[in-house]
Amino acid sequence: MFYRESGDFKTSYVQDQQIFPIALDRVFVGIVIAFAFLVVPFLIDDYWEKSVLLPVLIWSLAAIGLNILTGYCGQVSLGTGGFMAVGAYASYKITTAFPELNMFIVVLLSGGVTSLVGIVFGLPSLRIKGFYLAVATLASQFFLVWLFNKVPWFYNYSASGQISAPERLVFGVAISGPNAPPWATYLFCLTFVVVFALIAKNLTRGRYGRSWMAIRDMDIAAEIIGVAPLKTKLSAFSVSSFYIGIAGALFFLVYLGAVEPTEAFGIDKSFLVLFMIIIGGLGSILGSFIGAAFMFLMPVLIKNVFVGGFGWSTDIVAHLIFMIVGGLIMFFLIVEPHGLAQLWRVTKEKLRLWPFPH
Amino acid sequence: MSPDILNTIEVILNGLMTGVMYSLVALGFVLIFKASGIFNYAQGVMALFAALTLVGFQTGQIPFAHLINDMFGTHYHNWGVGFNNFIAIVLTILVMILFAWLVERLVLKHLVNQEPIILFMATIGLAFFMEGLGDLMWGANIKTLDVGIPSGGSFWWEDVTRTWASAGSEYYGMYIDVLDVWAAAIAVLLVVILTLFSQYTKTGRALRAVADDHQAALTVGISLRTIWVIVWSIAGMVALVAGIMWGSKSGVQFSLSLIALKALPVLILGGFTSIPGAIVGGLIIGVGEKLFEFWIGPLVGGATENWFAYVLALFFLMFRPQGLFGERIIERV
Amino acid sequence: MNDAVKSDNILLEVRNISLSFGGVTALEDISFDIRRGEVRAIIGPNGAGKSSMLNVINGFYHPQQGEIWFDGKIRHHMRPHEVAKLGIARTFQNIALFKGMTTLDNLMTGRIIKMRANILWQEVWKGPAEREEVEHRQRVEEIIDFLKIQSIRKTPVGKLPYGMQKRVELGRALAAESKLLLLDEPMAGMNLEEKEDMCRFVLDVNEQFGTTIALIEHDMGVVMDISDRVVVLDYGKKLADGSPDEVRNNKAVIDAYLGVSHD
Repeated sequence: MFYRESGDFKTSYVQDQQIFPIALDRVFVGIVIAFAFLVVPFLIDDYWEKSVLLPVLIWSLAAIGLNILTGYCGQVSLGTGGFMAVGAYASYKITTAFPELNMFIVVLLSGGVTSLVGIVFGLPSLRIKGFYLAVATLASQFFLVWLFNKVPWFYNYSASGQISAPERLVFGVAISGPNAPPWATYLFCLTFVVVFALIAKNLTRGRYGRSWMAIRDMDIAAEIIGVAPLKTKLSAFSVSSFYIGIAGALFFLVYLGAVEPTEAFGIDKSFLVLFMIIIGGLGSILGSFIGAAFMFLMPVLIKNVFVGGFGWSTDIVAHLIFMIVGGLIMFFLIVEPHGLAQLWRVTKEKLRLWPFPH
Repeated sequence: MSPDILNTIEVILNGLMTGVMYSLVALGFVLIFKASGIFNYAQGVMALFAALTLVGFQTGQIPFAHLINDMFGTHYHNWGVGFNNFIAIVLTILVMILFAWLVERLVLKHLVNQEPIILFMATIGLAFFMEGLGDLMWGANIKTLDVGIPSGGSFWWEDVTRTWASAGSEYYGMYIDVLDVWAAAIAVLLVVILTLFSQYTKTGRALRAVADDHQAALTVGISLRTIWVIVWSIAGMVALVAGIMWGSKSGVQFSLSLIALKALPVLILGGFTSIPGAIVGGLIIGVGEKLFEFWIGPLVGGATENWFAYVLALFFLMFRPQGLFGERIIERV
Repeated sequence: MNDAVKSDNILLEVRNISLSFGGVTALEDISFDIRRGEVRAIIGPNGAGKSSMLNVINGFYHPQQGEIWFDGKIRHHMRPHEVAKLGIARTFQNIALFKGMTTLDNLMTGRIIKMRANILWQEVWKGPAEREEVEHRQRVEEIIDFLKIQSIRKTPVGKLPYGMQKRVELGRALAAESKLLLLDEPMAGMNLEEKEDMCRFVLDVNEQFGTTIALIEHDMGVVMDISDRVVVLDYGKKLADGSPDEVRNNKAVIDAYLGVSHD
């Protein structure tokens, strides 16, 4: 009943074009971000860091990346795992070659490398569409993972074939390696997520976002009104891969610490991120966060309830989770293709009009 | 002939055999795609599910035994008696028909007129669901499947080929699995049956009508929903055949569902709407990946079979997006 | 009639265009021109090649033979988005709006050829990016006012009724501020009232903004009323070309298109 916009007038287009046009939303988001930066670091412990906050933050970033490509530009990709691997291995090569380089820059550069790889694998999108493209992106998934597995240069000729993150400091505090304190790794990831979520929002509401969506909704008409398909699709691939690359770098450096490519970046990761954006909401930045949190935490919760609570065996529960995830995907595609984010928007719309139902 | 040439021939033969297996899975894709425009990612999982169900009936497993045991603390596993091959196969076919009916009722009906890519993602969801369901029903352990198809290397072929080698060279004959030969024969038979079915039966004609034009088919009184159930049932049976072949060869296990991923590049090469395309595409991929692994594999660390098919499909797409046998796409506004 | 028509100032000219798909001939040796500031109608029975003609002008189809002259220059093989940059905008027979976007965003997308700010400014939504956004928003708002679609500004176009979608599509084409506007059956499927509105908009665009218009339309009453000159196609061939009155009285046209005459 307090969620109103009466009295909240816009007198210029600048005001009308804000990310959150409603004052109450701005206050709410401000409080959440302040809480995340100022309060959570004092409360965080090892369990919350490794089991909840870091994975949710990192998957959110990957989901935003895929959402730009799939949700906004309409190009379905099953190569997310492969691109995350590129980010991870790029960060490994860069930080081992230049140990003094600031970690923020290392992660950004990894994103840049992934972005270039994304452009290369995005080239076929000019000729092929829809699920043809989805199949083509499988090539990147399998080829990239194979490459990192078989070419010793990528893992610095280590005997195990794995890569492991060396300890690196930011402002004198470790953010990678075994001694990194939870609050530091958390803040490091949070900074990336907040900054890049904002950038994604800005890109998607401006010229780039509109040309992506135009290609998604009706590619031929888009081209005829002047949207250059080559440039637009490649920009989506490039920006999307940049995000996914950063997510991959953080996933390896900060979260896992050591990876083996076939396991950490397999095809199952590609599906996971795709499911995140379907359930969270295609074409929604907020949805990327909701979807990532939901898809990561839901199995954990179910496992805790059935294995911990009822004492079922883990593999039974694992099969059950498969069924639930599959069922939810079909359910959302049938009932609400715009995902949880749309449900949230509808609720807000109802609140605005409350107590009048129409 | 020198052993090198003979080895290459052996690789090609084995590639052809593997290719037939890919074609079997791709065939199921083509059937569903032609009739409903749906790219059914779950085709591979359907093969797994059919094979699991078949083994379950053969060995007399109790469905959901593990789940029931976990829920009620019981220890049931087996009825104690299984069905013979024929009855088990018939029962499995019935299960696949039931499955087709359920998919139509619960999923497809609600997704009519959605974009193809949405349908594609829905079938990914379906694949996950069925994978969980199959494992939950019949257990996730690797099972052996034997419906009486002979298997093992052919000694006769080994003896024959040994005589081809030039005198004095060390060559011990080619290895070929009898099971693969059977699979090839069954695949050919299946294609013949499907072709006859679609050419000479009323249902077959209706299928082709729907494939040609949904709207027009509706106006002449063909029920789209019935057709979909029929098509998914047929695809279920094709999946069962593929499941039996793959299951007999390498056991019924999770990795069976991954052959769906291999069938995708096959379809890209062959075109999504062409049955001969699926066969030829499968053979090209089968031979291509085996030869590539044989010649180039050792130079780059091996395991190129993981990606060769996809990269080949990718290059192919760049130059001929409609596939080998697909019709040229004319875009309209 | 518009003054500009009298001057021999030609905006677009197609010369001897032939187009075929495989063995099927869609257009055969078609030549005509469009003068600056006129309303030019292209008519003909279904399958006459009208939409194909527009697609050729757009650069979406590439004719096997013939030349296209636009704005005094010959145009070589060009992709549709390059043609759009030259100043040719278009609406479609079957509405081709971006259904997931709002009316406002659809119109803003129409201005994409005029937007310049680079990706770095876009990322922070400051400086040139924000200025540009506001500047184009103002132009788009003028079009919204012109077409009287203020109330649906922030509605996703997929939810709009048919007539409104047609109007938004016209708005999107107008947003490009093109020299030549191609309208593919702008009044198809409309009721009388909606048709009258649309006619008014077409004429107003032509008079107020001085935009040259080429349109395909089946409603002969509309065509004869609003167009300055008419070209008639049938089975990919040109049957007639001239003022509405000339075309109306042309024997071949009456036979082929309006039905065989009974006198």
